[in-house]
Amino acid sequence: MSDDLVLELKKLTIETLKLEEFSPEDIEDDGQLFGDGLGLDSIDALELVVALEKNYGVVIPDSEVGERVFRSVNTLAQFVREQSSISGQPSAKK
Amino acid sequence: MKYDETELRVRFNEVDSWGMVWHGHYITWFEVGRMALLGKFQLLPKDFARMGYIAPVVDLKCVFKEPAHLDEEILIRTTVLKPTKAALTFRFQVQRKSDGKLLASGEETQVLLTLDGRMLYIIPQDLREKFQPLFDYLEEPDSAA
Repeated sequence: MSDDLVLELKKLTIETLKLEEFSPEDIEDDGQLFGDGLGLDSIDALELVVALEKNYGVVIPDSEVGERVFRSVNTLAQFVREQSSISGQPSAKK
Repeated sequence: MKYDETELRVRFNEVDSWGMVWHGHYITWFEVGRMALLGKFQLLPKDFARMGYIAPVVDLKCVFKEPAHLDEEILIRTTVLKPTKAALTFRFQVQRKSDGKLLASGEETQVLLTLDGRMLYIIPQDLREKFQPLFDYLEEPDSAA
């Protein structure tokens, strides 16, 4: 289940940010998403936030939370799972 | 989409040694248009700061179509796209008033930060309410159309 979520989040990141040169296998589970890792920037974060709310109902209000959540795909998946258990909803794509 | 319009006459200091407006001045003109539009709705930088926010520019584009020249009257046309994320995207057109020729077009994106440097990923309610009159105005039919 958790591997499925990580894979889903990688696909969502690629699709949302139009990273045509990347496949899910190119994104390390623990690799940095921003800066030196995947090279995402603040505008990319805004796009991802909208996609995550739309697909999983999770809200990332600002960069303070974002810094922790967007550290890697694993931390993002952890956040989606945590928010889903708080809301009582399964952490599955809507 | 409605554009707000501001008129300017090209000044001597804006023209380069080739007799055309230096490309960097178009960005200044975008700023003139942006401030004129935002000023109508108490959304100037000082108004943002009073509410506890700043809105730095993170992306800026300009495409140059035809040169402007000294003394020409130009129209700076400015609009803002309704946000789909926590960012404001302005679009600009610079037209020559005499014949309506499009001289340049551009786009600028601003993100939202708190005064202590936290970037907002969701537009807060107080800003949403403050922006609404601006977007209502831009959705009105263009009286010039």
